[in-house]
Amino acid sequence: SSLVRRSLSGPGSSPPQCTSKCGRCYPCRPVHVPIQPGLVKTAEYYPEAWRCKCGNKLFMP
Amino acid sequence: WAGVAQEAAALSNDGAVLLEIKKSFSNAGNALYDWDGSADHDPCFWRGVTCDNVTLSVTGLNLTQLSLSGVISPSVGKLKSLQYLDLRENSIGGQVPDEIGDCAVLKYIDLSFNALVGDIPFSVSQLKQLETLILKSNQLTGPIPSTLSQLPNLKTLDLAQNQLTGEIPTLLYWSEVLQYLGLRDNSLSGTLSSDMCRLTGLWYFDVRSNNISGIIPDNIGNCTSFEILDLAYNRLNGEIPYNIGFLQVATLSLQGNQFSGKIPEVIGLMQALAVLDLSDNRLVGDIPPLLGNLTYTGKLYLHGNLLTGTIPPELGNMTKLSYLQLNDNQLTGEIPSELGSLSELFELNLANNQLYGRIPENISSCNALNYLNVHGNRLNGSIPPQLKKLDSLTYLNLSSNLFSGSIPDDFGHIVNLDTLDVSDNYISGSIPSSVGDLEHLLTLILRNNDISGKIPSEFGNLRSIDLLDLSQNKLLGNIPPELGQLQTLNTLFLQHNKLSGAIPVQLTNCFSLNILNVSYNNLSGEVPSGTIFSKFTPDSYIGNSQLCGTSTKTVCGYRSKQ
Repeated sequence: SSLVRRSLSGPGSSPPQCTSKCGRCYPCRPVHVPIQPGLVKTAEYYPEAWRCKCGNKLFMP
Repeated sequence: WAGVAQEAAALSNDGAVLLEIKKSFSNAGNALYDWDGSADHDPCFWRGVTCDNVTLSVTGLNLTQLSLSGVISPSVGKLKSLQYLDLRENSIGGQVPDEIGDCAVLKYIDLSFNALVGDIPFSVSQLKQLETLILKSNQLTGPIPSTLSQLPNLKTLDLAQNQLTGEIPTLLYWSEVLQYLGLRDNSLSGTLSSDMCRLTGLWYFDVRSNNISGIIPDNIGNCTSFEILDLAYNRLNGEIPYNIGFLQVATLSLQGNQFSGKIPEVIGLMQALAVLDLSDNRLVGDIPPLLGNLTYTGKLYLHGNLLTGTIPPELGNMTKLSYLQLNDNQLTGEIPSELGSLSELFELNLANNQLYGRIPENISSCNALNYLNVHGNRLNGSIPPQLKKLDSLTYLNLSSNLFSGSIPDDFGHIVNLDTLDVSDNYISGSIPSSVGDLEHLLTLILRNNDISGKIPSEFGNLRSIDLLDLSQNKLLGNIPPELGQLQTLNTLFLQHNKLSGAIPVQLTNCFSLNILNVSYNNLSGEVPSGTIFSKFTPDSYIGNSQLCGTSTKTVCGYRSKQ
């Protein structure tokens, strides 16, 4: 099961590789993207997620 | 009359329904002026209306940001081909009509940023094709209908910023399709279910600012699809489980809860973390040095806990760090010079700890530093002159420490500074005239030090200053008349010094001045009269035996002879 596999691989994570995640666009690099939870801008920071970026286009990792 | 009948017949059924919908909006006249019943007006060309190419039935309504008020007509249920309904950012009130459940092919509903009240209708659960339901930012009450779990295609559920109560229905977690669950800013209660990790397709889990209590389920590590886990500002308690280290999240927000115990060391292995916020909890023990392994993390917030021990020098390895807040803990030891390696650091807050020793000189290598706060520690030595290299700095707070020596001569080079606070230290020497070059300065607080010499006349150049507090020092000489140029000055504190001479009449030009205190100096002569000075009470002047005038308790000489 996946649980067994995970315990073998251990805890921890790393940023996405982004290899071939931007279609034919190159170079394709992982970036932090803020996810705005509402329209109202607050003084607080937004949650962030990883996306793959090429030029000014973002792709799912 | 035959012609009229023909016209009426020519308007499609859906067209007639749209007119009913228009009618229930109370101010649609302008925005929907082309929604008009005459036959030559095809509803498919009306504003915001989309139709099927073949059947000409209405498939979409996009009426965002049209200042619509009134209510959503129950007639919307008669639009049997409606797939897309977007009414966001209006002022629509009333309830979400039950009849919305009759739009059997609806895929997308966005009613966010309106004034909708009442419950989320159970009938929404009939919309088997529904992929997106966004009701964010309304005034909806009642529970989240557990029947929403019957929507097999629901990918986005955003109910944030309402007044929803009750528990998050566990059934909702049994979805492999749901990708986005936004529930922040409601009044949801209950606990987190260990079933939440059955959401195998979910990337956004946000229950921030609710009343959720209990612990983080021990199997949290199974939520491997989560990218954002925001549990902040609830009533969660217990320890942060070790299994959190199995998450792949980019944002882990646990702040504002009642978590206790130590920071699990395993968090240092979560290199996908962009944001780690554990602030405002009851965490104890050391900051794990392994956190220095988070070399992709931009924001680290550990403030407002009960953390002890020293700041691990390993944090200097977090080269992508832009925010580091360790303030309001019980940290001891010296500030590690390794923090100087953080070239992208924008904000460093170490206030209210028990740090001692000197500020490391190479903190000046943090070129991007904008905000530096070490208030309320036991730091000593002189203020490093190298701080002047931090030319991006806008906020510098060194107050309530044991700093001695004088203010570095060329502090005026930190041109972007808007706040400089060195109060409650043992600073001596005179105030360098270059401080007058800080033309963006809003707040300058040198209170309660051993500063001597004169107030630089260059302070007349502080053209943005709002608060100037030089009180409780050993300042000598006159109050410079140049202070009269400070048009934005609101508060001037000069009390408890050794200032002499008259209060310059030029201060009557400080039109924004609301609070003045020059008490306990050696000032003499007549207090200037005029509207600015009429609002200050005798307390502003007390302790200057030779000061006289209507605002003081002493009448001036020539009058006392009468």
